[in-house]
Amino acid sequence: MSEAGSTQPAERRLSLLVTVLAFALPVVFVLVPLAIFLGYSFFSVDQGTIVYGLSLGNYVRFFTDPIFLPVFWNTIVLCVSVAIICILLAYPAAYFLTTLKGRWRYALLMLLLVPLLMSYVIKIYAIRSILGLNGFLNKALVALGILQEPSTLFVFNMNAILLTLTLLLIPFAILPIFLSLERIPQVLLRASDDLGASGLQTFLRITLPLSLPGVASAASFVFVLAIGDFLTPQMVGGISGFTFGRILYSQFGTAYNWPFGAALSVALAVVVIAAILVGERIGRNRGTSV
Amino acid sequence: MSALPRLSTIFLATITILVAVLLYSPLFVPIVSSFFTISHGSVDWSSPTLSTYVALAENHDILAALRTTLIVGVCTVILSVVSGTLLALYYHSRRSGRSLLQFIIFLPFLMPPIISGLALLIFFREIGLERSLLTVVIGHTVFVLAIVYRTVLMRLQSMSRTLVEASYDLGATGWQTFWRIILPNLSSAMVGGAILAFALSFDETMITILVTGTQSTLPVRLWAMMRLGFSPDINALVALILMFTVLLCVLAARFLIPRQVATERT
Repeated sequence: MSEAGSTQPAERRLSLLVTVLAFALPVVFVLVPLAIFLGYSFFSVDQGTIVYGLSLGNYVRFFTDPIFLPVFWNTIVLCVSVAIICILLAYPAAYFLTTLKGRWRYALLMLLLVPLLMSYVIKIYAIRSILGLNGFLNKALVALGILQEPSTLFVFNMNAILLTLTLLLIPFAILPIFLSLERIPQVLLRASDDLGASGLQTFLRITLPLSLPGVASAASFVFVLAIGDFLTPQMVGGISGFTFGRILYSQFGTAYNWPFGAALSVALAVVVIAAILVGERIGRNRGTSV
Repeated sequence: MSALPRLSTIFLATITILVAVLLYSPLFVPIVSSFFTISHGSVDWSSPTLSTYVALAENHDILAALRTTLIVGVCTVILSVVSGTLLALYYHSRRSGRSLLQFIIFLPFLMPPIISGLALLIFFREIGLERSLLTVVIGHTVFVLAIVYRTVLMRLQSMSRTLVEASYDLGATGWQTFWRIILPNLSSAMVGGAILAFALSFDETMITILVTGTQSTLPVRLWAMMRLGFSPDINALVALILMFTVLLCVLAARFLIPRQVATERT
């Protein structure tokens, strides 16, 4: 708000002080911890104590050990699947919302977003009880005659993780898709209609391409949240549902190998940053061309 | 929008209903169960009862965790609203390093919580800070800061400059303008941000698990109890928490939405 250039030295000193203060909190509590964390990934552990000597050993182990890369890859595939399923469910729902008028539209949007703010842990627990061998899903499937007896298909395995993450993360897909659909100028749709396009043609040629930025950011949101989660796989994954998040978490608990855990986190961070950048890039390119 | 063919409307509505059912099923199961007793692993559907709620009132472990959660929530709200507002004001008024600052603020929100949590865990160890409620509050504040900051900044940017200019024209000092014009205009965004911050802090589990000491917050306590399975009174707690969360959502919407719509129209 102050005019630059004509400031007095005292005022400039104050301005510098304010700048330093503004940066202090985020730098001390965000940047410094992350930097130390990155540094840790180059340390090693010897008989339960951390050796503060730089080495690439953790990274070499990550790439050469036959355990970690496959789990890493499987987790990525899992989270991509979660993102795809979330979008397949969220897109029609978001589209339906935009066909509604006025107050209904936002009331229903609210209704679909509220579950986001409700206890994560409790939802996982409830879903586990729904998916369990004696859970509601199995009971319903047996009662409907689809299954002869309760199935173990979604009990404590990768499928359970996939279903649970999908249920938890759908709202994160709905919001960006809804926002991008809502931003499409109605004039374009009317013009398309006037020029004789069918409803399907208008959707495929106008609505769908223009909503892709929303789909891209929805996909990257869901993917990032899914891959960073270790509570869900820990709760519903059982022994066979082993994800990268669980391995990471175990390095800080039972395995007590913080430097290796930090290196695994760096691998996770790389994937997350890539996903965010891709989502952003697609979103922005399409967004500016409108 | 042109009238949709009937069939596709039905299809879309069906999927929307399916999504709603999927989203709400994990919320309704514990609520419904909370009114019935469970014996030998199966629910007794014949007689609804409030006994789980009575049992909850006597579960001191859970009540202590609830108290801890509330303390952490209030501290987080105060810290994040004060610093979030100051940072938004800084971003709004100065040029140097703004985008870098904003990037750093958003980092913990973009990064998976497990990374933020572990980074803080190692940081606290390196600076010799024992894991306690203080470290939990710091973790929560760092996590929710971006939300509060963004909420306040958006209001600040939508605020008309003429108000500030008018205030200066009428002879007000910088402080007077801040207290009488800027702050009152920001207040509803700050309250809305505070409610969101509280809601996020109330539910934060992943960072908390990593940085907490001996006292655990409600989600962490629930997480620990889950390995053994819940006692029925947890269902009662779930029902109460859900009601409380709906209340928070409605409140947040009240403070954040109507004013923005109003300013857009004028």
